[in-house]
Amino acid sequence: MKKRIWKLLLIAGGLIYIAAVVIIALALINNQKLIDEWKTAYDFKPEARSRISPSAQNSALKKKIQSYQPRGVYIMIDSAENKYYLRAGDKVLREGLVSTGSGEILVEPNGKRSWIFDTPKGEFLVKSKIQNPYWVKPDWAFIEEGEPIPRKMEDRVEGGVLGDYALGFGNGYFLHGTLYTRLLGRNVTHGCVRFADKDLEAIFKASKIGTKIYIY
Amino acid sequence: MGQTAIREKKADEGRQNFIHLLPAGLLFGLVLSLVQPALPGKLSAEQIKNKTSAVSQQKKGNAQKKPLEVPGTSARQPKDSDLLKENRFLQEELTLAKNPKYYFVIDLKSKKIDIRARGMQLKSWTASQIRYSGKPLPLKVLGLSQKSALNPPKRQMIKPGEGDTAAVVDQEPVSADKNNQDKKKNAQNGTTMPSQEPGTGGETFQLEALEITDMPGNYELIFDNGLKISVRSPAGKGQKLRRLKENLSWYIFLPVNNVLKKDKVHNQKMILYFDQPRDAQGIYWAFIDGIQGIIWLP
Repeated sequence: MKKRIWKLLLIAGGLIYIAAVVIIALALINNQKLIDEWKTAYDFKPEARSRISPSAQNSALKKKIQSYQPRGVYIMIDSAENKYYLRAGDKVLREGLVSTGSGEILVEPNGKRSWIFDTPKGEFLVKSKIQNPYWVKPDWAFIEEGEPIPRKMEDRVEGGVLGDYALGFGNGYFLHGTLYTRLLGRNVTHGCVRFADKDLEAIFKASKIGTKIYIY
Repeated sequence: MGQTAIREKKADEGRQNFIHLLPAGLLFGLVLSLVQPALPGKLSAEQIKNKTSAVSQQKKGNAQKKPLEVPGTSARQPKDSDLLKENRFLQEELTLAKNPKYYFVIDLKSKKIDIRARGMQLKSWTASQIRYSGKPLPLKVLGLSQKSALNPPKRQMIKPGEGDTAAVVDQEPVSADKNNQDKKKNAQNGTTMPSQEPGTGGETFQLEALEITDMPGNYELIFDNGLKISVRSPAGKGQKLRRLKENLSWYIFLPVNNVLKKDKVHNQKMILYFDQPRDAQGIYWAFIDGIQGIIWLP
């Protein structure tokens, strides 16, 4: 009985061994194939008519790409980590916490309109700079609170909630202050970016109309 | 008694045979560990690079003799093949940098995943391991067509009337003079001001918002050219089992399948492994639908 078991074990071991060798051989063949394919795909040839050397072409391309980069200060906002960076070139001049969009959805009770409270991502420009701003509450603010939407403009105005400064970057989105400083670092807004007072002041002073904002 | 002695003797012989196999097994293990980097998916960047460079040099022919390099005396000059490759990459990046949208660059050699805008790096992650199988990826711009996860993040619905007090106050500010604002401030005190004083609350509260920690740590990114990138991190349950399954598939099923496949259509598949779930979640967050980018091997 024991002899049979040993025999079976040996046979099984042998088969596994052969299978492993075959698999490795196949893997090596496949690997060589892949290397050859990559080699062919990445074997670029210089343009026959080009008089400029590849290194000079690369330098020119790098310069061209750099020409699209912002000059002076710009603002970077990481909406995942809720952090901002005030930068000039590669230097980080200032950084801190912000609050960005909550990603929540609000649907009007009649179902006609809906809003997704995301902070837009991409490249934007500072389009307006406002000192001592007050908030003109949009429709969704009333719907969210379950209040009737006022007809008069005056009923929409609310002061002292946006901090001392606001920088508009289009479509009603702003970089502004907040009373909810404990929520800095979290995703809680309706799409705007909230800053702590001192950070907002620094950003307001450093930026001008046309300053680039990168949100990602 | 005699039979028992014979049995024991035969058993001993079997054991001895098995013991003889051990060195062969160990040798096999050694060979396996040596060839492992050459297995599919472990197709290392250096390996391809060296091969590519070597072949390019060969193609140039022996007529062009290279000047002798004295080790340690001069910086290594980039080869023409590398320059041409970089040239193609820069040309592709230029098309992306022209647009205001941000884009991604996956560098297979350094295992880095960058988010860039206008040629500037906005954010970067480094994968602990990258596996790739299939036809080589052309050095071209590709776009993300779909993100697929077992548990995709779900947006919360706000119930009107139960407004989110944390999220109030946004959009449409208008400039006002200080006096007016002060009046407004006074008028609004106690009505629209937050119920909690700033900075007094604890930071360990739950929000109904969509945050980075709500993003999946394991998911698939499907691109318009058919490439499927699986992103893996130690988030969620059953990770060891999943990794075992993937390893078996990668080292056994895939090589056999790739060689024996008659139609020779190799699906392009990449797996990015991250040590931290937050890295994988960050990529899910940053890779918005339709994002374009380049995957390349410098």
